Amino acid sequence: MKQALLASLAFLLAGAAAAQTPAAMRAMQAYARANRLFEQNQLPQSLAALEEALAADPNNVPALTLKAKIAMGANRFDVAGECLERAVAADPSSWYARFLYGFWYYLRDDWSRALAELNAAHKLNPRDARSPLYLALTYERLGDLQKAIAFSDEAVRLEEAAGKPGANSLLTSARLLQQAGRLADCGKVLNRALELYPNSRDVHYENGRLLLKKGDARGAAAAGEEALRMPPEDVTDLQVRYLLVRAYERAGEDRLAAQQAAAIRAAEAAAGR
Amino acid sequence: MKGFPAIAVFICAAAAAVCAATAAIWAATAAAPIQFREVAAKSGLHFQLNNGATGRFRQVELMTGGVAALDYNNDGCADIYFANGAALPSLEKTSPEFYNRLYRNNCDMTFTDVTEEAGVAGAGYSMAVAAGDYNNDGFTDIFVAGVNRNILYQNLGNGKFRDVTAQAGLMGVDPQRGKPWSVSAGWFDYDNDGWLDLFVSNYVAWDPRTEPSCGIPGNPIYCHPDDYPGLSNQLFHNNHDGTFTDVSESSGIARHIGKGMGVVFADFDQDGFTDIFVANDSVRGVLFHNQGNGTFKEMGLESGVALREDGSPIAGMGADFRDLDNDGLPDLVESGMMNDSFLLFRNLGKRYQFEDWGERSGILAGTRQLTGWSLGAYDFDNDGWKDLFFALSHFPNLERFIGRPVALPNKVFRNIGGQRFQDVSATAGEDFQKPAMHHGAAFADFDNDGRIDAVVSVLNGPAKLYRNVTPNAGHWLAFKLEGTRSNRQGLGAVIRVTLPDGRTLTNHATTSVGYASSSEALVRFGLGANERARRVEVRWPGAGSQVLTDVAADHVVEVKEAPAP
Repeated sequence: MKQALLASLAFLLAGAAAAQTPAAMRAMQAYARANRLFEQNQLPQSLAALEEALAADPNNVPALTLKAKIAMGANRFDVAGECLERAVAADPSSWYARFLYGFWYYLRDDWSRALAELNAAHKLNPRDARSPLYLALTYERLGDLQKAIAFSDEAVRLEEAAGKPGANSLLTSARLLQQAGRLADCGKVLNRALELYPNSRDVHYENGRLLLKKGDARGAAAAGEEALRMPPEDVTDLQVRYLLVRAYERAGEDRLAAQQAAAIRAAEAAAGR
Repeated sequence: MKGFPAIAVFICAAAAAVCAATAAIWAATAAAPIQFREVAAKSGLHFQLNNGATGRFRQVELMTGGVAALDYNNDGCADIYFANGAALPSLEKTSPEFYNRLYRNNCDMTFTDVTEEAGVAGAGYSMAVAAGDYNNDGFTDIFVAGVNRNILYQNLGNGKFRDVTAQAGLMGVDPQRGKPWSVSAGWFDYDNDGWLDLFVSNYVAWDPRTEPSCGIPGNPIYCHPDDYPGLSNQLFHNNHDGTFTDVSESSGIARHIGKGMGVVFADFDQDGFTDIFVANDSVRGVLFHNQGNGTFKEMGLESGVALREDGSPIAGMGADFRDLDNDGLPDLVESGMMNDSFLLFRNLGKRYQFEDWGERSGILAGTRQLTGWSLGAYDFDNDGWKDLFFALSHFPNLERFIGRPVALPNKVFRNIGGQRFQDVSATAGEDFQKPAMHHGAAFADFDNDGRIDAVVSVLNGPAKLYRNVTPNAGHWLAFKLEGTRSNRQGLGAVIRVTLPDGRTLTNHATTSVGYASSSEALVRFGLGANERARRVEVRWPGAGSQVLTDVAADHVVEVKEAPAP
C-alpha cells in the first residue's frame, strides 16, 4: 500500500517536473525530502529541507503548508499564518492550503475567516471529512448548534463512505447532540463509537456524561471507571474524576464520591494550586 | 403547540380565578421588553477608569474596575463609588486621574463628585469595592481591595470617611508573602453574631519587577494565569470593636489555593449559615460550605459547581448566587471568557447538589463568544423572574490574535418562566449595540422608580449609567432591612414573598454581586401584575423570622428586626 502511494507520488512528481522550471523541480525534490523527514518525526531536519525548497521556489504550496503545520506544532502561529497566506495566494485552488488556513483561523478564534476558508476547502474537496468536521466545530463555537450538527453528520457520513467513521467525528457528533438535548440520537452515535472504539477513554467518558444526563448515575459511574482504566487521550483525569464525583454523589455513594474528589484535590495540591 | 389551547381551556375551566390572574401576569410581562437608556454624561457621572497601562502588558492592567452602589448618606438615593488603577510600575495614585471616586446621588438622577470632601480617593492600585456597615452604626462603610493596598473607609456619618485599615487589622499583609493581590471582597456574617465579617478574594502572586514576557517577539500579549502561582483567600472575623482577626487558617479558607475573582454569598443549603462561592480564573471554582462552627468545608466538586459540566475549568470572572427558577433555593451563575461559555447551575435542594443548567437554559450557547466580567441577576422587568445582566469585553490587545474587536456591547438575558434565558439585548436600548471595554457593574434603583438600574465601569473609558426605562414593567417591592440582633443591614436575611396567586418568590440580602463590585443592600422583588403581596416572611440570619401580610406593591418597605422574644 505504502509502496503504491510512493510510486504514485513519484509519478506525480515526475509529471509535475516535466512542466516545471529547474528551480521549481529543486523545490519539489526538497519538499519530498522534507515530507519524508516529517513523517520520521525529524522536525529540525524537515524544516531545513523546507527552507531549501522555499529558497528555490518561495511559492511552493506543499512546502508552505508543511512548514505551517510544523510551525503550529511549535506554537509559532505567526510563522504559520505567513506561510498559509502565501500558499493560498499562490494557489487558491489548493483545498489543503485552504483547509489548513481555516484551521489556523479556528485556532485563533477568528470564526468568520475560519468559516470562509473551511467552506472554500469543502467546496474544493467535498469528499474529505476534515473540512466539515472543523466547520462543525466552528459553528459550535458560534453557538449555531443546528449547523454544527449538520456538518458533523456530514463528516461522519464521509468517513463512513471511506471506510469507517473516526472516533473524533463520532465524539464531536455525540457532544453536539448532547448539547442540543437530543439524548437519544446521541446514544445511537455513542453506541456506534463504543462498537468501533471499545478501548477509547474519550468514548467511554462521553458515554458517562450522557448516562448522567439521562439520570443513570450508576451507569455513568461505570462508564467513568472504564474511562479511567483506559490510556490517556484528549479527556483528562480531572474530567473523568469530576464525572465520577457527580455520578457517585447522585447514586448516593458518598464514600466513592469522596475518594474521587480527594484524588482531584491531591492532584491540585501536587500541581501547587 | 396544537395541544396548548385545549389544555388551557381544561385548566381554566377548573380554576378560572387562577387562570385570569396568570393571564394578566402574562399580558403584563409579554408587553414589557427590558430597556435601558445610558445616561452617565447627562447625569454628571464623568468617571473614567484608568488602568495605567504603558504598553508593557502587566497583568494588573486587565483586572481593575470594581464599582459599588451604596447609600452612604442615608438619603434614600443610591450613590456610586468607583475603584481605580494607579501608575505603573509604582502602583501609586500619582495624580487625580487615578483616584477612586465617590459620586453622591442628588436624588434627581444627577450625581456630584464628592471624592475629596469625603476623603475616599484611595491609595495604591485599587481593584474592587465592597460596601457594608461593619460597625453597625447605620452608615455604610467601604472596603477597597487592591494589588498593593487594601483600605477600610469608616463612614463617619457626616459625609466624610476615615481610613481605619491599620487599626482594624485589615491591611491584609501576610508576614511571609507580603500583600497578596486582592481582586474582590465581600461582607457577610458567617457566624451569625450580628456583625459583618469580611472575605477577600486573592488572585495570583505577582510582582511588577518580575513580570514574565508572553507572546512572541514583536507581538507581546498578556500572560495566561497559568504563568503565575495562585493564592489562598482571606477571611477576617469582626471583633465587634472596630477590629478584625484574620481567621483564614482556622476557618479552613486558607487551605484552598486558587486564582480568586468574584465572590458571592448565599445560604444554599438553608441551614441558617451563609456559604461562599468564589469564581477562579482558569482553575476550578470553590464552594465553601459553612459548617456553623466557624469553619468551612470546600465542596465545589461534590456539589457540581466547580467546573463546567464537561469537567473543564473556565476563566471564572463574576458570579451571582440567587434563586433564578423560583423554587426558593439560590442558583449560581458565573461569567467566563470567550470559548468557555458562562456557567449556570440549578440548586437541586438535596444532598448539597447542583445540576448544570447552562445547556437547557440557552446560556451555554448564548455566551460562548462572550467574555464577561461583572454581572447581576435582577428582575429588570419586574415580571417575577430574575433576569441576567452581563458586563462584557475581551482582553485589550487581543484584536491581533482573534481578528475582531475586543470591545463588546453588554448583554441582557431575559428569564423566560424559570426555564430558559433569552438574549434580549437587541431591543434593550441603543447602548446595548455599542461595544466598550466593560468591566465592573453594580445594581441599584438609582432613580427610585422601582426598576433596577445598573452602573458599569469601562476600562480606560467613560463609565456608563443604565437607567431602566422598561415600559409597562410589573409591580414591585423592595425591602430595606434593619437588623437589631442581626447585622444592621440584615445581610444574609432571606425574604419570601407570597403572591395572591400562591406563587412564592425568594431573594436574600447581599451586596456582593458580580465581579469586584458591590450592589445595593435592598432586597427586591418583581410582582408582575400583582398589586400586593399576600405574605412576606423575613428570615433573619441565625435568628427568628418576621411575617408581614397584605403588603401593597410599589414601594420600599422598611423592616426592623423584632427584639428577642
